[in-house]
Amino acid sequence: MTSEPQEPSAAEPAPEPAGPPPGRRSFLRGLAGGVAGGVVAGGAGGAAAGYFSRSAPPAPAAADAAALTGRLPAVPFHGKHQASILPGPTPVTAVVSFDVTAGDQASLTDLFQTLTDRARFLTAGGTPPPVGISGPPPDSGVLGPTVAPDGLTVTLGVGATLFDDRYGLASARPARLTTMTSFPNDNLDPAQCGGDLIVQLRAGSMDTVLHALRDIAKNTRGGMQINWRIDGFASPARPAGTVPRNLLGFMDGIANPSVTSAHDMNSLVWVQPGAAGEPSWTTGGSYFVVRLIRMLVEFWDRVDVFEQETMIGRRRDSGFPLDAASIHATPNFATDPTGDVIPLTAHIRLANPRTSATEPSRILRRGWNYDRGIDEVGDLDMGLIFTCFQQDIDRQFKAVQTRLIDEPLVDYISPFGGGYFLALPGVTGPSDYYGRALLA
Amino acid sequence: MVMRHKRLLSTACTVFTAGLTVGLAASLSACSSGAAQPSNLVTVSSNQCGGAWSVQGPGWHTFQIDNQSTGGGEIDLIDPANGAIYAEVENTGPGTITPMRLNLGSGTYAFMCNFNDFDTQVGAKVTVGGHAKGTPAILPVSYNDTIPYAKKYQAYAEAGLKVLARETATLAADVRAGDFTAAKKDWLTAHLQYQTLGAAYGTFGDYDGEIDGDANAAGANSPDWTGFYRLEYGLWHGQSAKELTPVAATLDKNVKALLAWWPAQQIPLSDVGLRTHEVLENALQFQLTGNDDYGSGTTLATTLANIQGTRYLLSLLRPLLVPRYAGLPAVYSGLGRLQSLIEKEHRPNGMWVPVSALPASARQAIDAACGAVLQSLAPIASITEPRNIANDF
Repeated sequence: MTSEPQEPSAAEPAPEPAGPPPGRRSFLRGLAGGVAGGVVAGGAGGAAAGYFSRSAPPAPAAADAAALTGRLPAVPFHGKHQASILPGPTPVTAVVSFDVTAGDQASLTDLFQTLTDRARFLTAGGTPPPVGISGPPPDSGVLGPTVAPDGLTVTLGVGATLFDDRYGLASARPARLTTMTSFPNDNLDPAQCGGDLIVQLRAGSMDTVLHALRDIAKNTRGGMQINWRIDGFASPARPAGTVPRNLLGFMDGIANPSVTSAHDMNSLVWVQPGAAGEPSWTTGGSYFVVRLIRMLVEFWDRVDVFEQETMIGRRRDSGFPLDAASIHATPNFATDPTGDVIPLTAHIRLANPRTSATEPSRILRRGWNYDRGIDEVGDLDMGLIFTCFQQDIDRQFKAVQTRLIDEPLVDYISPFGGGYFLALPGVTGPSDYYGRALLA
Repeated sequence: MVMRHKRLLSTACTVFTAGLTVGLAASLSACSSGAAQPSNLVTVSSNQCGGAWSVQGPGWHTFQIDNQSTGGGEIDLIDPANGAIYAEVENTGPGTITPMRLNLGSGTYAFMCNFNDFDTQVGAKVTVGGHAKGTPAILPVSYNDTIPYAKKYQAYAEAGLKVLARETATLAADVRAGDFTAAKKDWLTAHLQYQTLGAAYGTFGDYDGEIDGDANAAGANSPDWTGFYRLEYGLWHGQSAKELTPVAATLDKNVKALLAWWPAQQIPLSDVGLRTHEVLENALQFQLTGNDDYGSGTTLATTLANIQGTRYLLSLLRPLLVPRYAGLPAVYSGLGRLQSLIEKEHRPNGMWVPVSALPASARQAIDAACGAVLQSLAPIASITEPRNIANDF
């Protein structure tokens, strides 16, 4: 699990990130922008965090760079919180559960340090060092000789099982972390649930995600073992300017707390200093729920659109709430107490009743579509990788999910996997590492 | 990155515009600055090896190796004091330009050129000043270095095959006599013996497929499927002595044929190094997955036999590895960890647990340990690959 030293991007002018074929255009870009590596590294990193997010659209320079190279700019790795938590969905993701196989706590620390080193390098990009005749190349080469950041983020979370008796961490267990609850209508497959660790990789392209996954797995070989994984994608907004759709054909994730509101984030997402019962090392982390939800799309497609819309509570084509004329309008449930317009059992009404009593149960919801082949009867196995971040799973995800029990939509979906995790606090600088406060 | 038949002009800017690719763009900004830069184009041919070249100082550097000869060659950047290799470009085609990239530390460097049918040439010595640490050099292993190890391996395998031939004879007799209790025991003994021989990927030519092939290609019901796994399938699936007697006899016959064939074979000198990871690559792919479990549930035992074979190969190469590979202790500790995790699953009554019946955590631990040791074994093939070395070291 030793980490290869990496040549920093700045050690020599970075070659162009892989992108358009070479030609005069690339040459001019080299002249105008310094080098592409410079654009990437120096680009509006904060803006990258807003990719696909209404609240913080990408700055023009970064958007131009992404358009030219076909790659997203780097997202700064260091910070109080993991940089991956607030941004909206990137085009692709992989969600990978690991069990730790390290022999003792020192090896666990080594594992977390290696994970940190790899994430730091992969999110910044750069050129892996050649090794001469001393072994196989350290990098898979999947992204070409220079690793472009492509908006890669790494989210690392810990599951309740890490706090058993193996590593002496039982007393440090996050106060609100348990293994995943099975809800009525769930169809959980134990082989696709839980895990000591969860790693979510997000980026602009699948090759970037798979490159990162191979790099991380290779450098941590022996310390952790993949338990289950699923890949996902976020669709482009159709029509442009709206909100990406899930595979039921409905826009997904319209109502979310504002990621630019410190108040919302501190009251809903981040574990706060001194939170009741929480060990201090969890401050700045966020509880991370992953639910793998099959959508029975053949069945769904045999349902008329009015029935679909009343199950969801929104128009399929426009995303408008059934009682309003814009996507982001707040549905007015108070004036419709008997559900004549938006049924009392509609998904959006149960999930977020928009009352002051239910405000504290709001979650930061992030969904990706998944598509992975067929089932035993030849139907398509596709659906949703539901993820959400919050500061208290009981108060938030479980409260929302409890309200959703037996909603009409349950006939068309089947939750089969996932888990509860705590996304660790951020890595604050070059000498920090994931979980330092936990392991120190 | 190879550009075929592209003649390059002499100035750096022209070269880089013509050949603008990802690998060359490193030099782009130097070019665009308009300042004169030392060319990093290194010309090699049957009568020159790099010519006069220079670099500005230590640091990351990409040489463009321009092969102007009429044939293929191998170009190394070496320490002329002892022949240690910093970087290598193999199989450069005539008329091609191939990048060679490294971090040049302070020290003395020279190109070494090996063209087919020509003597090895060592080019000009170039000193990089200062006190910078760069890509380390590794002393190459010569063909002469590896010959004794290949011979020792051949003798080891021959001795092992002789033992195996006795065991398959006993096994064939058990089956013929209808004593399946003895046959199952003797099958395992013989199969593990075969699996300790350190063979993989064609060491035993077509014999391996006949002696130890799986059912995939032919199918379990095909008469073309022969060998240990075919016999395992029959012994553990209630097939009769009458049906299995010719299967066991054919196995014994093929083992004896291999034994007769083997001593005259010339083993490629790079094989011993390659097998140090390939044997366990096969174990991970076929044994720890359960793919090659045809009923006996003994793939963990097979993996142990593969560890034993790997240990033998390592013992041969150890004198070459100790001065060259800092990761060698991790290889041994990794093998020890994998071995002890597997031995934990050997039941007191001598039975083995099929991998599919292992508790998930035990299986994860074994798979993780196998992956870790493979990672640490991987560099050995590169380090021990026999290379041309100049005569004057």
